Amino acid sequence: MIGQLNTLLEQLDALQARAIEQLEPIETSAQLEEWDHTYLGRKRGELTNISSVMGKLSKDERPVVGQKINAVKAELTERLAAKKEALRQREMLQALEQERIDVTLPGRAMPVGHMHPISRAIWDVTQVFVKMGFHVIDGPEVETDYYNFQALNIPEDHPARDMQDTFWVVPGQILLRTQTSPMQIRAMQQMRPPVRVVAPGKVYRNEAVDASHEAMFHQVEGLLIDEYCTMGDLKGCLERVARELFGESRRVRFRGSYFPFTEPSAEMDIDCPICSGQGCRTCKYTGWIEMLGCGMVHPRVLREVGYDPAKYRGFAFGLGPERVAILRHTVEEIRLFSGNDLRFLKQF
Amino acid sequence: MKVPLSWLKEYVDITMSPEELAHMLTMAGLEVEALEYIGASWGDAIITAQIVHLEKVAGSDHLSYTRVNTGEEELGIICGAPNIKQGDKVPLALVGAKVGDLTIGEKKTMGYFSQGMLCSPRELGIGNDHSGIYILDPETALGLKLVDVLGEVVLEFAIKANRGDLSSIIGIAREVAALTKQELRIPQVNLHEQGKPAAEMIQVTVEDTDLCPRYSARIISGITIGPSPEWMGRRLLAAGMRPINNVVDITNYVMLEFGQPLHGFDYELVRQQHIIVRRAHPGEEMTTLDDVKRKLTLDMLLITDPEGPTAIAGVMGGAISEVNDGTTTVLLEAANFQAANVRRTSVALGLRTDASSRFEKRLDPELTVAGANRAMQLMEDLIGGTVHPGIVDCYPSPSQPRAIAFSTDDVEWLTGVKVTQHEVVDALSWLDFIVVPDELSNGMQVIVPTFRTDIQESADLVEEVLRMIGYNSIPSTIPVGPLPEPQVDSWFEREYAVRNILIGAGLNEVVTYAMTSRARMVNLLAYADFQSARALLQGAKSVPSHGTSTAGATNNGASTAVVAFDTRTLPAVTLVNPLSSDHDAMRLTLMSGLLETVQENSKRSKAGLRFFEIGRRYLPPVAEGNLPDERRSVGIALSGPAEISWAAELARPADFFDLKGVVETMLAALHISRYRFTPTQHPTFHPGRCALLELLRLASDGEETFSPVGVLGEVHPVVQQRYDLTQRTYLCELDLEQLYEAVPGSLTYQPISRHQELTRDLALVVDERVPAQDVHDAIVQSGGELLRQAALFDVYTGEPIPSGKKNLTYSLSYQSQERTLTDAEVNTLQEGIIRTLHDQFGAVLR
Ligand SMILES: [Zn+2]
Repeated sequence: MIGQLNTLLEQLDALQARAIEQLEPIETSAQLEEWDHTYLGRKRGELTNISSVMGKLSKDERPVVGQKINAVKAELTERLAAKKEALRQREMLQALEQERIDVTLPGRAMPVGHMHPISRAIWDVTQVFVKMGFHVIDGPEVETDYYNFQALNIPEDHPARDMQDTFWVVPGQILLRTQTSPMQIRAMQQMRPPVRVVAPGKVYRNEAVDASHEAMFHQVEGLLIDEYCTMGDLKGCLERVARELFGESRRVRFRGSYFPFTEPSAEMDIDCPICSGQGCRTCKYTGWIEMLGCGMVHPRVLREVGYDPAKYRGFAFGLGPERVAILRHTVEEIRLFSGNDLRFLKQF
Repeated sequence: MKVPLSWLKEYVDITMSPEELAHMLTMAGLEVEALEYIGASWGDAIITAQIVHLEKVAGSDHLSYTRVNTGEEELGIICGAPNIKQGDKVPLALVGAKVGDLTIGEKKTMGYFSQGMLCSPRELGIGNDHSGIYILDPETALGLKLVDVLGEVVLEFAIKANRGDLSSIIGIAREVAALTKQELRIPQVNLHEQGKPAAEMIQVTVEDTDLCPRYSARIISGITIGPSPEWMGRRLLAAGMRPINNVVDITNYVMLEFGQPLHGFDYELVRQQHIIVRRAHPGEEMTTLDDVKRKLTLDMLLITDPEGPTAIAGVMGGAISEVNDGTTTVLLEAANFQAANVRRTSVALGLRTDASSRFEKRLDPELTVAGANRAMQLMEDLIGGTVHPGIVDCYPSPSQPRAIAFSTDDVEWLTGVKVTQHEVVDALSWLDFIVVPDELSNGMQVIVPTFRTDIQESADLVEEVLRMIGYNSIPSTIPVGPLPEPQVDSWFEREYAVRNILIGAGLNEVVTYAMTSRARMVNLLAYADFQSARALLQGAKSVPSHGTSTAGATNNGASTAVVAFDTRTLPAVTLVNPLSSDHDAMRLTLMSGLLETVQENSKRSKAGLRFFEIGRRYLPPVAEGNLPDERRSVGIALSGPAEISWAAELARPADFFDLKGVVETMLAALHISRYRFTPTQHPTFHPGRCALLELLRLASDGEETFSPVGVLGEVHPVVQQRYDLTQRTYLCELDLEQLYEAVPGSLTYQPISRHQELTRDLALVVDERVPAQDVHDAIVQSGGELLRQAALFDVYTGEPIPSGKKNLTYSLSYQSQERTLTDAEVNTLQEGIIRTLHDQFGAVLR
């Protein structure tokens, strides 16, 4: 019987070797299942078949064969599991590979909106003053002659009216405001000192429209009235604006000018932000760019609103956001601002 | 005002370069707008030469052959000009010279060899005259570069409206003298008066002294009209004036020099030798020097004789008494007219002249005599003749120099610049102010020279001091005064809040012209009738809620018998002097500008047409004389896909719900929660795709009502076509002020319930016409407090839903703040909702 036992053990070794050999090249789950069925199947699996001869063995031989069968079974089961895991991994990789996309296609972006460059300029200018305690106010664009001219020391038949060609609604009475300066009068009437206001808004001039002139544009008016306030304060505030908008190193200069509602009056220039004052086309090779008109509120204007010029004084200025935007973005034509071309608007 | 530098230098020594001079004056408030370099283009090859021989070219009716001496050589030149003669000194362009666009070369003409060209004023760019060669002064040396003889630098000033005294070369010289501390040289007068006194030759009566504070007249006889000297003509040309004849040129020359407008009458043509200065009579007319017959009004001041008007005071002379070729005696007028009246007259007549633009800036009455005397001197010197003794001078109330109390403190008060008494006295004295220091008070009395009509009070003197010591002496400081009360929630901030929300929603901000026309606004109406036009005017307010007038638009559309709407009857704020007829009315709506923006951009791209504008609508005032109602509004326009994209979601054209989504996003961002959209009719929109946005408002009596703030919808196909739009386009306009009334002032936290939330789905079938909003409102109403949310997640029509019906599926969430709800409780609520929906809409469960 020893011979039979040995034969049986050899058969098991051979079975294991054959099973392992056949497991190796298996590529698919179906083949693996087939293999599982062939060797480890409960009904007609080869290992089961061999187990069935156990009954013919002696009592002493049975445990030896039993142990051997279990060892082979354990070995094959373990290898089956490993193979299964390997196949699963590979199939997942294949599935993922099939889901490959072209990551270079454009993304599905949320549409991006754009603020109009003039709105941006107005915001930035006003915020410089808001930080210094100024209020932002607004008022009518269709104005009376009184607020737009008379109260600002520009009586009827004054040649200063030539500086601003006016659109009239009712000749001599109602007009489209030519400047935001009427807000000086409205602010002083509505408040008591200390007054610190900036008033942005649209203004209108009856001028032929060309590359540098618009019939509708914007201004930001500024006004400070207090018991203590000098032209030095005006210069200091405007220097801040120049630096916040055009860079830390900007210099400003004041030169003499004339506005009927300020005395003394000044024109403020900044050193050209394009060429840093070296001279270029934008600054007409002067190194300086005209920024705005300003001055100390005229005593007659103060008296007009019932402020005593011996007690109160203040400054006023009028700045053009278009001018700011033109310089910041090197826009060549003022008309682009009202053209509303998407190709322009999307750049801001 | 154009000032030739060589002329300016007659009155003051100038050593700095023209550029330095321009900079110095600009900084002091006399802005030099441009520097013109006459002769800069002439180069070295245009020189002075003399004609030494002249002969007619045989076979030509106009050409001459000349030999000219350049001082070094003799050249042959062919010339076609009629005015040259032997001995004339002329500008010669040598071979190689550039004259305008022309380069001079040697050429052979009709057998003569020509080695250059003689130049006319026009060819040299120093005048318009092309009828002859420019004849140089006989004293000119030969062979000089022409630029050294005729070259000139002209400074062009922008004279401010308050400085009448600077509309003169002496006025500018005075500023230069003060700024450089040089002596000012004013021409002296030394007349040889003879014959009959002027006062015996002419009578002057000023009837309206309010408009003519001073009238001075002088007479010169025995003169011959002819051309003025070459140097004077050249100066006038450089200053921008055309030479006419010796008398007129001298009056213009003195006007430029002193700033005093002068007018020369032919003395013989002044009838009855009597000048009367008076306002025009009713219906009076006269023909001015420019040969235009002008109707005069009662407030216009005239210079007349007993038989009628001879000039419009301060504006222009009349043809009747004009100096002409036969004039031998000139009556010279040097007057002072009231500034405002001259301006009013010149504006009314549309006649702006060199004289009127000076008078309207308020001239010094003291200037008349100086101007008249200077002109007499020039006439005597340059023309000859007899200056009659005396000035006829009507000056009933001579102007008194103004005295202003002033101190160094005034300078510091306004400018922050500390100055000494000495600096102030020095600055003002150089400008011809007389300063009388008051040793006791540290102050001073400042006597203002009469030509400084702009100086009224101490602030004006501060500016003068500042101009002299330099604006760069102003320190840079920061205001130190107390801050005003804080400002909360300004309209400025609110508008930027909305602006940022809409930008966040992917819209592009536009700024369109507020000036439009009625016709452009009426373009927005599918069918223009008066009822529809009212919608433009009143915005949301006029829109009938809940579509009461569906018939209106559709019936009119089908019929050809629409009563034509007269666009002009649309009430609007209009301009009397618009840029063009396309810009003669202020907009009543933002929608037309937005639609025009879509139209323009859609010519270039069909995608990304997503716009908004924040601006005002200008509604005509209720009562005449009042200001319009400027309504702060927001307009939105969407058209076509958001992007050109491979991604279907982005490439999908915008529809109504995209627009509504933008509006809802804005409402959510503003924390406005109590609103509704209701179907409506509006003449701009598709009758089945237009909604009214209404906000819930709490009235003072506690009543809650919905009130409209704007409309949104799909643009009517008729309107769309009118704007050449091929894609469906969506528009919205909301009233920002009404919208903001619903923005909560503060937000209160709602505790988050710790109890379980139960959800139930609800699928029902209702009539297709039933608005989802109504179903939703009924669910919320019936569900009460415990119904937390009712979210619509499916809308379905088609099999197996019967036609004319639709299926709406909601997800309802129930939750209590205090306890965990039971299934039974929720079931009862759910059944209640179903019952309500059945009763109200005939809804059945699916
Ligand atoms: Zn530059």
